[in-house]
Amino acid sequence: MTELLQNLIDGLGRGSIYALLALGVAVVFGVMHLLNFAHGELITVSGYATFWAMAAGWSWYLTVPLIVVVSVATSLAIERVAFSRVRGADDFTLLLTSFGVHFVVSAIFLLYVSASVKTFPRPGWVTNTYALGSLRVEVFDTVVIGVTVVTLLATTLLLQRTMFGLALRAAAADFDTARLMGVRSNSVIRGAFALSGLLAGIASVFWLMRAGSISPSAGINPMLKGVLAALVGGLGSLRGAVLGGLALGLAEVLLRSRLPDSVASLTEGVVFLLIALLFIFRPQGIVTVTHAERV
Amino acid sequence: MDFSDVVGFVDIPGSNLVPYVAELINCTGGINGSPVEVRVAEVGDDAALAAQELLDWGAQFLIGPPFADFALPILQTTGGNVPLFVAASTEPTLADASINSYLVTFDDFAMAGAAAQWALDQGITRAIVFTEGEGIPYTGVNPDAFAAAFVAGGGEVVSTQTYVWAADTDFSAQVNEIAGISENNEVVFSAALAFQVTALRGQLEGQGLDGLTYIGTDAMDATGIQVEANNEGIAHTPHTSISAGDPIDTLLAGYEASRGEALASRGFMALYVDSLFLGIQGMLDCDCTEPADIGEAVKQISGFQGLSGEITYAGTNGIPPKAVPINQIVNGEDVLVATIGG
Repeated sequence: MTELLQNLIDGLGRGSIYALLALGVAVVFGVMHLLNFAHGELITVSGYATFWAMAAGWSWYLTVPLIVVVSVATSLAIERVAFSRVRGADDFTLLLTSFGVHFVVSAIFLLYVSASVKTFPRPGWVTNTYALGSLRVEVFDTVVIGVTVVTLLATTLLLQRTMFGLALRAAAADFDTARLMGVRSNSVIRGAFALSGLLAGIASVFWLMRAGSISPSAGINPMLKGVLAALVGGLGSLRGAVLGGLALGLAEVLLRSRLPDSVASLTEGVVFLLIALLFIFRPQGIVTVTHAERV
Repeated sequence: MDFSDVVGFVDIPGSNLVPYVAELINCTGGINGSPVEVRVAEVGDDAALAAQELLDWGAQFLIGPPFADFALPILQTTGGNVPLFVAASTEPTLADASINSYLVTFDDFAMAGAAAQWALDQGITRAIVFTEGEGIPYTGVNPDAFAAAFVAGGGEVVSTQTYVWAADTDFSAQVNEIAGISENNEVVFSAALAFQVTALRGQLEGQGLDGLTYIGTDAMDATGIQVEANNEGIAHTPHTSISAGDPIDTLLAGYEASRGEALASRGFMALYVDSLFLGIQGMLDCDCTEPADIGEAVKQISGFQGLSGEITYAGTNGIPPKAVPINQIVNGEDVLVATIGG
């Protein structure tokens, strides 16, 4: 029982980061129907910014806001340089463009920085633990879960209580009708990318604190987790993205812990198998999204 | 050479160093008056095409990237008729003297076996092994070999954990399991990258397991265990244990002075230089320029004094029986603490 509780806490910690990534994917998908495979590059760029900041002697206190700013700026830059050129194109073109951005960003760091992994110090408290009954809980997991909850609440307030949120939700429900009702497409799309970058920036902070390293292809893993979580939750659903992220994190930790040693190396494969089964029985994901089809 | 970030961390600096060494040779009159010519081809997404480009150019031997994904298409292109030195690889299946394919360093079995021997020599009898899965090249073969050697030497593997190589940095699930069985005196072995090992160590220490010993493979050297935080005491198996003033240290310093930038993955660089000189040695031994004849001569090389140690192919299948250096971070310095085998 103790180990199960321990696993649940670990899974929620891991799943919280996935939820933040998935939420960023879902926000952009909602307004553009773009499944953004370049989302992980926000972590790559932020990671190199972290490496250089740390090399220059910056502390984590200074680096955390830098990561968030770099992530938002990168997200806006990617929208400006790449996605604004193909706005209104079919979904497949958008998908290919996002793959292109992913490969170009990786190649830039590979060619002009290094193929080697660059490391930087993790904050000292990342591996600290505290006792909670018979459990040993990582301070990191507690902070990640807490910050994720606050971020989700703030995002909900932003979407529910502001004009920008209303415009974003209207665009997600029916982009063309929203435009006819006076929603400015440029503003709402850039806003969506900025929000996506902000969420990715917060996720990046935790991802990089845990990893303590960056490499040109470091964005692949978080991109896969974010996209998968968004798909599992139900593409376009913000609530689903959060649920998908948490479900993915819990599944990974529980499976790695519960599978027999002889097959434990198949954990990732079993996760994908479960996702495939989910899509057989619920192709729409955990949450059903109802909105008008863009034509 | 592969310039992607799969192998680029060694192949990019290696492909810079080899032409530099050829320049040095040519500055001193070349080999028996003939200049050494080096051409670098990037494998990109078609290693066979890159190999064909070099064969068309007239390459007499090849220095190739590690990992079967790259090396096997090259071997299919050479048809076994041109010597291939898989410079930075420890993959035993890539060595086959009958098709002129050679490792320049020890293989996974020697590397992980030496790590197990070192742990046993420290009086450690319990091991925790991290693997990607049984039989998986490098990430599974090394843990398999470590476990076999450790048990054969009288030790016990008390826990085998799985992880995703080069990706996982959150080991919560594994750490929880280890915390339940550890006596805080085990050796932890993996082929993981340096930042993964220090992440794992941090989480284990967070659970109060601060008495564990860590040893890993050449991947630790490749990914900078020397500059990682919380690296004190961590041991690893580099290809070359470099000290100030060593021939390889002098060569690398000369490169830096000449080119204005230092090379990464220093511990692997001697393997690229040795690959070049092994090919040249084959040509000198056979007094020939035909690749197939050079290959026959390379098979007979014995007691070659390379920058990375003594290399012998005679009587082997292409894996030189080299000694494995064991380095450890002691007082912040990466120092040679043992040499095993050879």
